[in-house]
Amino acid sequence: MSRELHIVGFQVGRETYGVPITSLHEIVRVPEITAVPDAPEYLEGVINLRGKIVSVMDLRKRFGEKQATMRKQNRILVVEHAGRLAGLIVDSASEVLKIPAESVEPPPAVFQEGGLNCVSGLGKIQGRLVVLLEMSKLLAPESLRVSSQNGEKKPAAKSEARGAAAK
Amino acid sequence: MTNSPDERGAELRELFFETSTELLQALNDEALKLEKTPGDEEIVRSIRRTVHTLKGDSAACGLRELSELAHQFEDALSLEGAASHAAVAEIAFSAADVFTEMIAAYRAGTKLPSTKSLSKKIEDLTAAPQASPKGRRTRKAAGAKSGVRKAAGSATDWTEYEKLAMTKAQASGQDVVHVSVKIDPHCAMPIAGRQLVQNAISTMGSVIAVRPDAKSPAATKLIEFVLATVSTAEQIATKCKIPTIVEEVSVEIMLAASTGPARAAEDATAAVAESAEPKTHAPETLAPAGAEASAAPAMVENILRVEAGRIDNVLNLVGELIIGKSMLQQTLQEFSKRYPKDLLRGKFLDAMAFQARVLNDLQRSVMKIRMVPVDQLFRRFPRMVRDVARQCGREVELVVSGHDTDLDKGILDAIAEPLTHLVRNAISHGIEPPDQRRRLGKAAAGTVRLNAYHQGNQVVVEVGDDGRGIDAGKIRAKAIELGLTTAEEAARLNENETLDFIFRPGFSTAEQVTEVSGRGVGMDVVQSVLHRLKATVNVETRVGQGTTFRLKLPLTLAIIKALLFWVEQRLYAIPLNAVMEIARTIESEVHQVDNYEVLQLRNQVLPLLRLGRPAPEGERRGKLFVLVILVGERKYGLIVDQLEGEEELVIKALDDQTFSTDLVSGASILGDGRVVLILNLPAVVDHVAKSRPEDSGHTNSGLLLTHTDRLRIAMSAMSAPTGGTA
Repeated sequence: MSRELHIVGFQVGRETYGVPITSLHEIVRVPEITAVPDAPEYLEGVINLRGKIVSVMDLRKRFGEKQATMRKQNRILVVEHAGRLAGLIVDSASEVLKIPAESVEPPPAVFQEGGLNCVSGLGKIQGRLVVLLEMSKLLAPESLRVSSQNGEKKPAAKSEARGAAAK
Repeated sequence: MTNSPDERGAELRELFFETSTELLQALNDEALKLEKTPGDEEIVRSIRRTVHTLKGDSAACGLRELSELAHQFEDALSLEGAASHAAVAEIAFSAADVFTEMIAAYRAGTKLPSTKSLSKKIEDLTAAPQASPKGRRTRKAAGAKSGVRKAAGSATDWTEYEKLAMTKAQASGQDVVHVSVKIDPHCAMPIAGRQLVQNAISTMGSVIAVRPDAKSPAATKLIEFVLATVSTAEQIATKCKIPTIVEEVSVEIMLAASTGPARAAEDATAAVAESAEPKTHAPETLAPAGAEASAAPAMVENILRVEAGRIDNVLNLVGELIIGKSMLQQTLQEFSKRYPKDLLRGKFLDAMAFQARVLNDLQRSVMKIRMVPVDQLFRRFPRMVRDVARQCGREVELVVSGHDTDLDKGILDAIAEPLTHLVRNAISHGIEPPDQRRRLGKAAAGTVRLNAYHQGNQVVVEVGDDGRGIDAGKIRAKAIELGLTTAEEAARLNENETLDFIFRPGFSTAEQVTEVSGRGVGMDVVQSVLHRLKATVNVETRVGQGTTFRLKLPLTLAIIKALLFWVEQRLYAIPLNAVMEIARTIESEVHQVDNYEVLQLRNQVLPLLRLGRPAPEGERRGKLFVLVILVGERKYGLIVDQLEGEEELVIKALDDQTFSTDLVSGASILGDGRVVLILNLPAVVDHVAKSRPEDSGHTNSGLLLTHTDRLRIAMSAMSAPTGGTA
């Protein structure tokens, strides 16, 4: 039984990633993004998608690229997950890939930690590797919180220090 | 059997659940009245009317247990002399409670609460010899008159719902037959046998009722069916007589098929015992039934029950229109600039003004749909006050005013809990026990006041008492003890600032509460709800004279008038009604007191909140805009880079699963498609209060800076380490 997965492929850095086409809402050019204070750095802000406020995450920053500049090819993949929309900034969106289900391998164990636990598998197509992403993990509040800890550590440490000082 | 499986039934139930809250509310109100004027027959009658309606409605929805209980209660009330019984009010209260629980249980699909204690109370009330000893099977005084029961001649009583089904079946030309089947005690598999009998019977017609339930222990001895059928009694008997399983079958016709509609109607009233048709009834029960019947249709005509979601939908669309309006306005401005002399301009302006006016009306009317009088909330309180006062051994009089003040339904629902907390606190901690009050020269009964009124763009809800008040000194001491502040700082706090401590989570454990004269139980809950609503609360208290909590709520959650300003090249908005004034100043006017930046504005010293980057060291010439805002009872100054203007904003929720910040309460879309964030002022103020800078020379700033901004500032300040908060 050769079942095919329909995947929308896009580039982040040098890698090709993919999300199931069913979770994709649309692909738009990058509009003006309104930054939200107090948010982790890869949460770029919010955009106006035809009257809807959609939060946007920079996948490049999420996957560890420090300096991400906007270029003309950048796109926002608007994905739908659990009834809400979210935008993912990618370097460029390429094509729809059809990957036979049997040529998808589970992710290596080393991916399960850190920021990469959102990888659901590795697909092979014509000698290329496509990293398949799992929307629920990518957008799960827990995973966001874990990776946003860096931003929160300082205030926490501060309040501790203050508590000690008060005593 | 109690479930009506079809969709219509579900709809009916939903409707019943909604209306039942009103009925129960009425029941509570009447019970309160009765408590004040015991023995008033008119009130007892009106209680009975309410219970009667509840019974009828619940029966129609197939909620058997509820309708039976209501029926029992109604019967008890209709007894001669019931009105003079002192316990009636008490029973009405507990009945209201039990009914509420039952309805909640039906709604949630959970197990029904026990009704035994209530049944017992009602039985005590009747205390008549005919009441038989075993629980819920006793309530049949009215039923005994009915034709159904006479014909059936068995110990079983049928529910209202089933009776209704019987008369319906009869009216449609079927015989209603009572079949009792005795299962052979030697039958090897009685449960399967029961099933077989049931199957056999259901082929003969439609089964209206089965007793006892399949689950009951007696399920396999004697089974009684009520069947609507066109078959004759003999046919049924033959069909049911299954060898080795059934020992004996008896078939009786309860209601013969009706011959004409007129008769059916008459039978219906007789069989159901109480229905809207008054003619066939004992005169005493007439009036209420008739009154109910005539009142019901009038309500249906005038009031439309609409799902709140639909109204929200319309409101959203109005919001889109308002965005559209500002788009048009912007285009028109550009147009005017480009062709200042064009004649079309005037026409455009007229059209725009007209459209703006209509839009304004539209918005107001849609919002009005969502508005409900605050009375819907207030009317719960008399009962609660009575109960709490009793528990605490206080005498309390509740004075309610401003019931017809309108408030958004969403807000109303949200403040129900905080308001309950406040009222409860007022009674248990504010009002002194009666003897103490007498010693103090006050009236023995304390007063709790509930009031609501409009004030500008806000609605104010007040909870006040004339109790002992809050002693600021004790709170100060407690705050120091808990490490929330230092002695030296506490000495400087004014009364309002001191009272703020009662809203701190953790400031309220049982022990402290008694020490600091009460207040504080769940006050942080109150605060957090109000934060969410962008509302504020302030406390006014006089030791020995009482306390008033004043909740200031926004009129609506959907659309606000806002002031737009720039911070770090980004646009933000705050609700216009929080802005007291806009001041201009220069950096050198800003002073530092204890690491806070302050500004002397006329006669007052204003704490400043710097939203953007910190003032560069040494540079003391820059011009500043300071927005003077009012949060709670205190004024603050927001330092912003530039002002943009004032606009009507349609609030859209941010995806709060992604952004956990509470600095921003929502977002909105401007006419040109830009997104603007709306700041949550109480949270902004809170943030500053919580993150006090401890290093001297470092002031609080950069609240709205994002990560990237901080990086940039840090980079540029690398040479001279002046940094902000991070």
